[in-house]
This record gives sequence, C-alpha cells and structure tokens, in this order.
Amino acid sequence: MVFTTAVNFVRSRGPDEFWRKRRIFRLAAAFYGRKRNCYSIAVRYVHRALVYATKGRKLRKMDITSLRQTRVQAACEQHNINYETFREGLTRSDIMLNRKTLADLACWEPYTFKALTDIALRRGVDDGLINITKTESLDRIITRGSLQSNK
Amino acid sequence: MSVLKRVQQWATFARIWHVYDAAWQNPFQSAELLKKYLMGMYKPIYHPSNDCGDHVIVINSAEIALPGDEWKKRVYFHHTGYPGGATWTLAWDLHSKDPTMVPAVYNSMDGNLKRRYTMERLHIFPDSNVPKDLMANVSNQIRQIRPMPKRLDHYPEQQVKEFPKVIDYPKDYVVR
Repeated sequence: MVFTTAVNFVRSRGPDEFWRKRRIFRLAAAFYGRKRNCYSIAVRYVHRALVYATKGRKLRKMDITSLRQTRVQAACEQHNINYETFREGLTRSDIMLNRKTLADLACWEPYTFKALTDIALRRGVDDGLINITKTESLDRIITRGSLQSNK
Repeated sequence: MSVLKRVQQWATFARIWHVYDAAWQNPFQSAELLKKYLMGMYKPIYHPSNDCGDHVIVINSAEIALPGDEWKKRVYFHHTGYPGGATWTLAWDLHSKDPTMVPAVYNSMDGNLKRRYTMERLHIFPDSNVPKDLMANVSNQIRQIRPMPKRLDHYPEQQVKEFPKVIDYPKDYVVR
C-alpha cells in the first residue's frame, strides 16, 4: 500500500479500524455537518445513501425512458399520428429503432423523423390500423400493401 | 455559428404565445391540454429542467363548463394558517367570486419548484377582452377539445324561419 503521508503510515499499524472507518468517511466526504465527521452518524447516512444509489440505478433508466417517450410523443403529435400507431407501424415495416434513436432523430433530424411518420402512416393505412381515407400525401410512399390494395 | 443556424436556434427556443377559448370547455380536460403547452411538452426538445415552456392566454374563462354536478359537489380548501382558519369553498361559489380562478391547471402539474413559474406563463381572462400588447404576441390558437355548438337564438331569424320543417304544429297546439 502506498502512503502519501507519514501520518497515515503510523496509523496503519495495529488493527484495521482506521482503514475501515476511512472507507466510510471517504463516502461521507460530501455530506454536511456531523454526518460528515462523526463515524457513528456518518455510517448510518452512508448506508442510506448507498441504498438510494442502488434504487437510483433503476430509476434513472426509467426516467430516461419516459423522457425519450415524451419527446417522441411530442414529435408524433406534430405530424398527426399517435405514438402507439407510430411504433406499431414502424415495427410492421421492420424498422427496428428504439426510443433513444427516435428521440434523437425527432430533435436533431426532423425531416428524417417526418419520413418515418409517413412510413408508419402508410403502413397504418395499409393494415387498417387507422381510419384514413385521404392518402394523397402518402401516395409517394410505395409499400407492398399499397401496391396490392391500389389505394 | 452561421446566420442560418443562429436563426434556427432562436426559432427553436423562442417562447410562443398561444390562445385558448375556454367557453363551454371542461377545465380538467383543458388543463391536461394546456399543461403540455405551458411546460413545453409538445416539443421534441423537452426536458424537465429545460426552460422551453410557452405562454398561454385563456379567454372566456367565465364560461367554462364543469361536468355533471361538479359545480355543487367540488370543494376547494384553503387554510389561513391560524387556528380555525380553514375554509371550504364550493366550485360555483369560487367561480362567482373570481372567474379567472381556475385551479385545475395548477393541480394537473406535479408539485415542484418549477410549477409556480410555469403558472406565471398562464394568463386567464374572464371574457375576450385581452390587453392589446398581450394579444399582439399570439401566433397560435389551440383547438378546443369539444366544438362549441351554435345556439338557436344566435342564428339569424330569417334562416330559422326558412329551415325545412318536418311538420307544422296544429293551430290549437300549445307550445311552451
């Protein structure tokens, strides 16, 4: 073990108590008040913080997912297609893009996203997912279904 | 940053002013709709800590329509902080006291530090008299949730008379 100061070298002799406490104090370094400096108080708050960190790993993923979904929903509404139809249309068209990619496209590549909504709409019309009779705006998109149904 | 990109940046982050006609609208459903505009949730750049919310001007708030018997049954609670300071106000009472007091929007949002600032971007007016400097900003009208039907006495008399009838009432028929 490398000792940067002589003080730590002296204290490292004997039982392991110093290093055991030091590990806790390192984790409590950013706390405020006595829970930063008193071991018996610090250890309680460190345990609680570690529990939060464990739970937070899952919550963070859920937060990010819901944020991306909100963004994609917002972009879908701008193009008059609802989120469920959009995802279903993309899946049926074998366009396997996840929420992250869709949210990034909606934000940074709006024209690409528009093209995706058109494809999803076309697929929705072909498969009867949505009740749309006027498809002039979608006529430029040719799919197997649109050729067969002659819409 | 090129001129185009700079303008694109302004256009993306500019605050937009919307106007919403609340006449004959359900305030609780409208709140869910207006929340999206106030918080900027209808933009793909939305983030909870991103200041991308828009302004919404609500007009004709005096003519909102609560569903069912909500006017009689819904109660708003307030406490002054002193002992015995609790008051319960019925919805019709609150509405008659101040027609611009619509807590539905405030209640529809999560309680966090941003809620008060988001509410500052909501401008409610009891009728359609909006100050000109506010109305000059408006660039979008939010579609009403339910279309407002036209009342019979608002049609021109000539049109009502000329409307084809199925039957003529007998002369001795009493129309109440």
